[in-house]
Amino acid sequence: MNMPKNDDAHVLSMAGISKSFPGVQALDGASLFVAPGEIHGLVGENGAGKSTIIKVLAGVYERDSGTVTINSTVYETLTPASVHAAGVRFIHQELHLVPHFTVAESVFMGQEITGIFGIDRKTMNDRAAAFLSETLHIDIAPNTLIRDLGIAERKLVQIARALIDNKASIVVFDEPTAPLAMAEIEQLFTAIRHLKERGIAIIYVSHYLGEITQLCDRVTIFRNGKDVAVESNIDEGSSDSIIRHMVGRELAALYPNKHHAVETPLLKLTGLSGDGQFSDIDLTVGKGEIVGLGGLIGSGREELTDTIYGLRQPTSGSIELDGRALSITAPSTAVEAGIVLVPRDRRHDGLVLDLSVGDNINLASLEEIANLWLEDRKSAARRSDELSEKLDIRPRNSSALTRFLSGGNQQKVVLARWLATGSKLFILDEPTVGVDIGAKVEIYQLIEDLAAQGAGIIVSSSDPAELLGLCDRVAVLMRGKLIADRPTGSLDIDSLIALTTGFETTGDAA
Amino acid sequence: MSLVSDSDTFSLRSFLVRYGFLVIIAAFFAFFSLYTGSFLSGTNLLNIIEGSSILLILALGMTLVVALGGIDLSVGIAFDMGAAFAIVAMKEYDAAWYVAILIGIGGGVLVGLLNAFLVVKLSVSPFLATLGTFFIGSSVQRIFTGGGGPISHRQAPMEYRNLAIGDVFGIPSEVIIAAVVLLIYFIFLERSIFGKRIHAIGLQKTAALVAGIKVNKYIALGFIIAAATCAIGGMIGSANLRMFTPLAGFSYLLDAIAAVFIGASIHPHGRPNVPGTLIGVLFLGMVANGLNLMGLDFNTKDALSGLILVGALAIAVAQKRLR
Repeated sequence: MNMPKNDDAHVLSMAGISKSFPGVQALDGASLFVAPGEIHGLVGENGAGKSTIIKVLAGVYERDSGTVTINSTVYETLTPASVHAAGVRFIHQELHLVPHFTVAESVFMGQEITGIFGIDRKTMNDRAAAFLSETLHIDIAPNTLIRDLGIAERKLVQIARALIDNKASIVVFDEPTAPLAMAEIEQLFTAIRHLKERGIAIIYVSHYLGEITQLCDRVTIFRNGKDVAVESNIDEGSSDSIIRHMVGRELAALYPNKHHAVETPLLKLTGLSGDGQFSDIDLTVGKGEIVGLGGLIGSGREELTDTIYGLRQPTSGSIELDGRALSITAPSTAVEAGIVLVPRDRRHDGLVLDLSVGDNINLASLEEIANLWLEDRKSAARRSDELSEKLDIRPRNSSALTRFLSGGNQQKVVLARWLATGSKLFILDEPTVGVDIGAKVEIYQLIEDLAAQGAGIIVSSSDPAELLGLCDRVAVLMRGKLIADRPTGSLDIDSLIALTTGFETTGDAA
Repeated sequence: MSLVSDSDTFSLRSFLVRYGFLVIIAAFFAFFSLYTGSFLSGTNLLNIIEGSSILLILALGMTLVVALGGIDLSVGIAFDMGAAFAIVAMKEYDAAWYVAILIGIGGGVLVGLLNAFLVVKLSVSPFLATLGTFFIGSSVQRIFTGGGGPISHRQAPMEYRNLAIGDVFGIPSEVIIAAVVLLIYFIFLERSIFGKRIHAIGLQKTAALVAGIKVNKYIALGFIIAAATCAIGGMIGSANLRMFTPLAGFSYLLDAIAAVFIGASIHPHGRPNVPGTLIGVLFLGMVANGLNLMGLDFNTKDALSGLILVGALAIAVAQKRLR
């Protein structure tokens, strides 16, 4: 914890903030101090507590303990209204603008200027245009419809709406660039720097370290619900030390060493076709082999893996596992045969979020923790605790609700469930989407270990670096056809992207 | 969770939110005890329990379907079919009492099969599927009885009548039957691996499917078991009156739904659950009994039940916000 020497130096002091949810300590004495007129970055892995402390500040979550001082006033409790009155504004990731309103209407929504004849459009138009050009340095005609604006311009309208009353002293940006293109990000940064010049303090929450080092004056780094470091004098070179604080250790190599000796085939697809989504797929996966599946959205990649798992039915072709032809009519038959799926949308398809971590881990192997169909709670807890330990699932609490875990830990819960079944073929669909870098490394090592123990693995991914770093071979789908099936040694990032996007020239890449 | 709250002062508001429903139950209990002389007597408390037995049986069936993520508006039809099949089997076909009971359960199973077919095979939503079953079942009863007249069977065998009027060591047999059903449901839903799967399906159906659970099989069996359970309630009702009264089951539907959702609202994660349903049923029974003893208009009971249900759900929402 970092205590400030003089609290007058800070426009916002959040000191020793704790907040827990059932089974999860989201914030554990975390502090955040922001000086007037600075751009203050807030970074941390998923689950580090960034968004929780922002929601505490916004009055969405009630803190368990800690003090909050805004502009030298101590706030015992925060409500959305009192925070607004204190001059704190939030620019959320989502836009919440009505497409067929004009720019001026959007800026003044809920705070319309009225004259004797009702809403005073002229004043609203003039003030909106003036604010946009003077404060944010962008010229947009105030009677333009929102739907005719680009995403970055909409973002600026959103900012104008939050700041038009000129009472803001702190503005919180929560992942503002997520939907923006490169050039649009520059436009947004320029606007943010202009706000800073007007003496407004900015809190900038982002996953993108490049943006943080480019924009921020100081950065507070969160890990495991605490502030672990504050870095000043930020420049391009600060990235390494920020990452070190985020992860809490030096990053080892991202991808594990591959050492697979593929001998016997495990899965064999012959002429597999599915309802116009993909056709005539021949693919084999050996025991101990990691096969990547590449392809753009709409290439048939998702439908192919869903079909192998029984979520869809093939129209023709065959699926053989260990030399036996399978008729997979539902996920339950796939699981019985030894095929399991880690789905791309883990929050919707992978986990029952309102069951505990332990229940989710045991969900596919309940027979093994039962005495005559009655759940043996001791052996259930032992099993899930062992797997939590092995996969380093945090918090190490099998009775925590799965909903409150971070993305990486949720993904580990799905993996733990299938490890408990001792299955033969693992289909991993986008296994590291939304997973922070520390958990990514651990998940890659786990996949490698599974292969080393003789499991067959299909990694379906839209990340070419992941396919190349992790897999022995990569099969590429385009418009439902398998257009390539090559060892990763013969590919590099450029040639793989060329393959998936259809720019492949003739012949194998060198 | 930290034990030290941010304010050391006792906050009435957060106390009421946390323990609100228990406070309401205690308040009603105290109120009825003070204002009626006979509420707290042993006989009356037994009356409440006995009067709640049939509702408990139906509410348990409802709990199963709601735990699977559905709702069953046809519990009353299954209740009626249980009574009709058993009474007609004894009256028209001279069936022995135990055969009649099996046939009565079979009547319930038919209702459950129809629901399961509509929901699983035709993918109709449970609300609309069971509403359809409710309409069809009501109409069939009226047609079969020539407009809704009861089918009376004064010579029903004593063993059958004992479903309602018998006792074991002074405990009424319907209380014992309800207790056995309660125990079975508790073990099945809250302690067995089937129950775990059922809760998983009700909470997040797709995730349960991807986890390899046979979702359709469980949903179909859930509707069938629930309807068979309701048929047991129907047979107790018919054993008491020695007749089948068409459409009698309907009167339990709303109370059963209320009891299940009151029970879910007092669960820490808001899940439908067997102990919660028991509390919901007993609470509704207590209120009906207390109003009766106070000589209040019986028609006020439903208004109060509605208020209690809405209050319980509001407290549950407030609890979620507090966390």
